[in-house]
Amino acid sequence: MEKHTNRADLIAALTEDLAPVKRVKPVEGAVLIAFAALIASVASIAVYEWWDGLLTGEASGYFLITHGLLLVLGAASTFALVSGALPRVGSRFDAPMWGAIMLGILPLGAIVSMLSGHGNHASQGLNDPVAFMCTTASLSAGALVLVAAVMWLRRGAPVSIERSGWLAGLAAGSLGTLAYGITCPLDTFAHVGLWHVAPVAIGAVVGRIVVPPLIRW
Amino acid sequence: MVADEPTFARLMAAAQTGDKAAANVLLTEAGVWLERYFRRRVPPHQIDDLVQEVLIALHTKRATFDPARPFLPWLAAIARYRWVDHLRKVYKHDSKELMEDDAVEDSEEEVVLARVSLDRLFKHLPDKQAEAIEMVKIGGLSIREAADKTGQSESLVKVNIHRGLKKLAALVERAD
Repeated sequence: MEKHTNRADLIAALTEDLAPVKRVKPVEGAVLIAFAALIASVASIAVYEWWDGLLTGEASGYFLITHGLLLVLGAASTFALVSGALPRVGSRFDAPMWGAIMLGILPLGAIVSMLSGHGNHASQGLNDPVAFMCTTASLSAGALVLVAAVMWLRRGAPVSIERSGWLAGLAAGSLGTLAYGITCPLDTFAHVGLWHVAPVAIGAVVGRIVVPPLIRW
Repeated sequence: MVADEPTFARLMAAAQTGDKAAANVLLTEAGVWLERYFRRRVPPHQIDDLVQEVLIALHTKRATFDPARPFLPWLAAIARYRWVDHLRKVYKHDSKELMEDDAVEDSEEEVVLARVSLDRLFKHLPDKQAEAIEMVKIGGLSIREAADKTGQSESLVKVNIHRGLKKLAALVERAD
């Protein structure tokens, strides 16, 4: 925008080319992110195939709890993210932080379980042969969500840039892991507690670093 | 007299539909409101630049205003965002200066800038950081003079200024 020495000139220039605008609505952001998560899920199923155990009752409680928490964290961070794209002052929605802390209990529990050597947990922890694949596949699915989040934030006017970066990373990490997770047949506590949670932490850090320069306005 | 909240909200809703007259009145009145907002936050000669920046932001981001919500908190959030940006520029400038120059000689402009922008927030800083910023950035002492006066090493004075200014920018950004 051209620099004006006189404020009246600036106002005249701004109003001269004024056009009606379509209001930015948070629900559109939520739909965009949900759609990206859906596409990520479909892509994951296309590549890795749907795991039948989810519907036959074969999936362990650990698996269901972990992915339930991922869904809740994804929803909470998406809600906070889309709300935060509109300028406002006042109370903040802290649910994503508490959701992330709750999810963080799982890897702690998995580590304790591995150290105590119960059942087959000890053999499926840090030496997990598919850990790298689960992590990278989840992050790949999350990348799609992250792109949607950035697109939405660029449409809006976020005034807490760093917070928006964290939230975009949390949403991408949790929804991306959920999208991939429905195809993963490994349902031990050690596996889901570590390798279906690590992408959320990685996603949050990546979001904090990558997103702010893309959404600053 | 500055327009009240319902008037602002009505004008903004009209501006969103492309009403040029309403937009003109809105921007003019918002300019007056913003002048007051920035008067206690930045030195007088910086106010108009910041007001113009926020008016441009108001115009370009007008689609993000929800007519079901109050207007002034929306405008205040944008104004604060621009103010934080301004503080960061001051911080970056000061950091560069500290790295490059042992005998810092602040211009009057910088002294006033630091005083107005930072003074109100000093109570949130550790004493040593506030003291270092106050002496060098407000009192106009050189790093060496501040070091002699406080008994801290020159490096420590620099570190305290650097960390203090960084913390101030973060404090403003976090505050609701």
